[in-house]
Amino acid sequence: MDPTPNQLEQTPEQAQAELSPVPANLIPLDERPTEITITIPTQAYFMSGIRDFVVNLTKNLTGFSSQWAFRFQAVVDELCNNAIEHGSAAGERITVTLISTKGKSLEVWVSDTGTGKEKMNASQLTALFQERRQVMTAQYLGFRGRGLPKIIGEWTDEIVFEDVPTGGLKVKVKKYLRKEEDTVLSTAQKDPTHIVLK
Amino acid sequence: MTPIQITIEDVSGAPAGKVVKLVHIAGQLDESNVDEQAKTIYQLIEANPAGLSIIFDVMGLEYMNSKSIGYLTDWYSKISGNGGKVVLASPRENILDILQVVGLTQLVNAYPSLDEAKAAVLS
Repeated sequence: MDPTPNQLEQTPEQAQAELSPVPANLIPLDERPTEITITIPTQAYFMSGIRDFVVNLTKNLTGFSSQWAFRFQAVVDELCNNAIEHGSAAGERITVTLISTKGKSLEVWVSDTGTGKEKMNASQLTALFQERRQVMTAQYLGFRGRGLPKIIGEWTDEIVFEDVPTGGLKVKVKKYLRKEEDTVLSTAQKDPTHIVLK
Repeated sequence: MTPIQITIEDVSGAPAGKVVKLVHIAGQLDESNVDEQAKTIYQLIEANPAGLSIIFDVMGLEYMNSKSIGYLTDWYSKISGNGGKVVLASPRENILDILQVVGLTQLVNAYPSLDEAKAAVLS
């Protein structure tokens, strides 16, 4: 019996090609992700420069709108402040990695050294994140606790908490670019009677 | 410390028994400076225990983090608890955006101009 198209036998080379991702050196240069890693001391003083960098990078390299550039600025700031406050002791460092796949997504990874007095592991922070998302309402009058569930949680599509084998915690967030959403949001922001319901 | 400038002035025309202050904030409120700057506002609240309203002119405010939003919420609670009002005047798009995402615009009204903010507080 002749094979149907789905049953056609593949050569070993064809099978291997389907299983393996495209080697990085074969991806056109302008389609390769741009990855930038910055290490800073655990001092809030340095965050102003990081915020400026994030806004400029997002506006110029990612395909996201100006509105999202400022949102990522806040997301990165909150992630780094958490790492500085809780994860890395004074005199230590935190590491920020930005990965932009132009027109597709922007990822942010923030790692601490796990030397902070109030450090948490991945499962503890996952539980805290879920708990805060439950209690955080529009009328929340508490002093702290908005950064992770609201600013980071609302303005990213994925969040992953990972324990670093050498100690510390890595928080990875990712936002996918949706051209249509971005356009609608940018337009709506200029019209006070246009309400976007997410 | 990230540069930030806070100046305070009186607003005339407040009803008897009421005190209205205009607080101009310019620069960035972040983890490096917000605790220190917040003391200025707490001193203002303590000096005017009853009838105080504050208009925050934030036209020059470029950034505010979650802790500064926490302070704003606390000032709102203290002032509104004593019968006063807290409003924002002329927030930039990114400031309004972050206040909206945390839900604070449901408590603290924001007006596109200082005149509109003054009218809302003095009415």
